[in-house]
Amino acid sequence: MELTQSSLTETVTLLACDGRLNMISAPKLKSAIAGAVSDGSVRIIVDLGGVQFIDSSGLGALVAGLKASRQAGGDLRIAAKTEQVLSVLKLTNLDRILRPYPNVSDATREW
Amino acid sequence: MNGEVRDLAGDASAEGLEEFRLLFDQLRGLPGAVRADELMLFETALMEIANNTVEHGRPRGRVHWHLVLRVDSDRIDATLSDDGEEIELPPDAPMPDPAELATSGRGLPLARALLDDLSLTRRDDRNIWRLTRRYSEE
Repeated sequence: MELTQSSLTETVTLLACDGRLNMISAPKLKSAIAGAVSDGSVRIIVDLGGVQFIDSSGLGALVAGLKASRQAGGDLRIAAKTEQVLSVLKLTNLDRILRPYPNVSDATREW
Repeated sequence: MNGEVRDLAGDASAEGLEEFRLLFDQLRGLPGAVRADELMLFETALMEIANNTVEHGRPRGRVHWHLVLRVDSDRIDATLSDDGEEIELPPDAPMPDPAELATSGRGLPLARALLDDLSLTRRDDRNIWRLTRRYSEE
């Protein structure tokens, strides 16, 4: 999985994932989120628009990121559009705490 | 698609998971009536079981597996066996409550939610997972 990190503002970081967010690549995302939060960027947007496949390890990295950002006084939002990602979020009920925004622009609204 | 069978043996490892992905990519690329939505959901379930084997298989790094996958017009079946030490299927655990923010424990509940049948048996010194998904109505 390719991971591209960019700062949208001083406190908002965008992490764009491309490929498969799975057991192999999940630690990379988890570490990137933790790094951004510890650098003071407590609001995180993870763009899953380029992710064709996510597994429970990938979900675990997102939840860990959500916890880390909230503990630092921020939050984590996701943008997702692929069928597999949306299905897995729904089946695991994680869409209740990680509401998928259709794109990054919507996810950054009011941030 | 009737009776399309794939057979794959290798190491229960990150590389092995990649071989499974390539196998599903091949099936997706086949001409004919493979249900892309069903294949995607079945792949999701199978990968959770395979992840489990990579993560918990012992002796670590020395487990070998064998996958037989059969795609039919109304269902997909797979048998994933490995030569690792005996593992036990944990009791049916519910999907973790999202509000508790658990970072693990979703793999098997997710696989169960996606499959009509999931079983684990031990025979001839092998762990044998059997997975079946019958297609939902289009």
